[in-house]
Amino acid sequence: MRNKIFTLSCLLVFAFGSVLAQETETETKKVDKPVRSPFESGYLIDNQTTVIQPVKTLEFVIQHKFGTVENGHSDLWGLYASGANIRLGLNYVVAKNVQIGLGVTKERMTTDFNAKWTILEQTRNNTVPVALALYGNIAIDGRDKDQFHDDFKSSNRLSSFFQAIVGRKFSDEISLQTGLSFAHYNLIDEGNYHDKVGVHLNGRFKVSPQGSVIFNLDVPLDLGYLDTEAEDYDNPKPNFSFGYEISTSTHAFQIYMGNSSGLIQQDIMVNNHSKIDLDNYMIGFTITRLWNF
Amino acid sequence: MKKFKNIFLGLSLVFAAILFAAFTLPQDKKVGGPWEIPAKYKTMKNTFKDDASLMKVGKMLYTKHCKSCHGGKGEGNGPKAKSMKTAIRSLKMAEVQAQSDGVLYYQSFIGRDEMPNYEKKITDDEDRWAIINYLRTLK
Repeated sequence: MRNKIFTLSCLLVFAFGSVLAQETETETKKVDKPVRSPFESGYLIDNQTTVIQPVKTLEFVIQHKFGTVENGHSDLWGLYASGANIRLGLNYVVAKNVQIGLGVTKERMTTDFNAKWTILEQTRNNTVPVALALYGNIAIDGRDKDQFHDDFKSSNRLSSFFQAIVGRKFSDEISLQTGLSFAHYNLIDEGNYHDKVGVHLNGRFKVSPQGSVIFNLDVPLDLGYLDTEAEDYDNPKPNFSFGYEISTSTHAFQIYMGNSSGLIQQDIMVNNHSKIDLDNYMIGFTITRLWNF
Repeated sequence: MKKFKNIFLGLSLVFAAILFAAFTLPQDKKVGGPWEIPAKYKTMKNTFKDDASLMKVGKMLYTKHCKSCHGGKGEGNGPKAKSMKTAIRSLKMAEVQAQSDGVLYYQSFIGRDEMPNYEKKITDDEDRWAIINYLRTLK
């Protein structure tokens, strides 16, 4: 029930946004151009935005999450703790609003291949009131096969994630996104689900020309019928992160705290059993660097 | 003991040499030479010249793309300016402001040497003119 209320709330936010038309961007005389920078980067904490850079842009991304802050100063709030996770990624914009990328992540020695397509861009005069993007990835667990069960097959290594993202820039300061996703693991640890449908809500509030307060919420839905053998499993916990972003011409720096150690989204949606509790929070950062060719 | 004395003497000489060099070597960087502006840009018209609604956009884009070198007020004293080989002129200077919009456009977005090309970062012409309009307010 709570999940339904949450989904309805998200839809209402966007519906009201369209009706109120709080666009403060400059109106153009002829063509209704896309709004300027609904987000500063293609990444928002550990999720995607509808933003894709201009064609022939190469983006390098560094994502890192330290250990949990529960031990306080004894391990410098997780900075000295074990269990940190890191992902390095490269994305390239091959055509207008089409991006492909790959990344490597420490957790499960994962290599992921991903693509994003922004089908619709929100325009300044509301001809198109929202942006719509599709994102998907396929990831390969690169650990030694001894780490899997005896009946190992190569396909056991695969997982995937697909997401539709709808976003709106409500004003120069406020941009929000919501999304619906499907995450899948071919092989999962005992007690986890193979498939997980989730909803997402994230956004930014710009507090200065270069600085924004940012947040992200991922909610794995408890839809038992998708995996009937897993009735007694604990549903993965929501991931709520908040932080601050500083952007420049070629960089976006995001420092945040969140309660999931995952860096690829299927990991966040399927494997996160850390509930939203301050002790489970970890400090993380995302840095992007752009080159234009 | 004599060994430590020699090390101390050696380090003192190195320190003195660095101190001496600091005062004698030229520290002032030179501004770049005259720009060669193609005729197309000399006569280029600012199609958004009187568009006051672009002022906020121009300021926002200046802050994002230009401030780190040219400084918050265009005085050429941004945090990256010190690492440049060329001195950055203040955008408030009369000789800078006396140039036509088209010349400023060329210098700002086509660039040369340490002034990078911004055509691929700022792709919309309206956004580029918004920055030029904002530069005009820095007088």
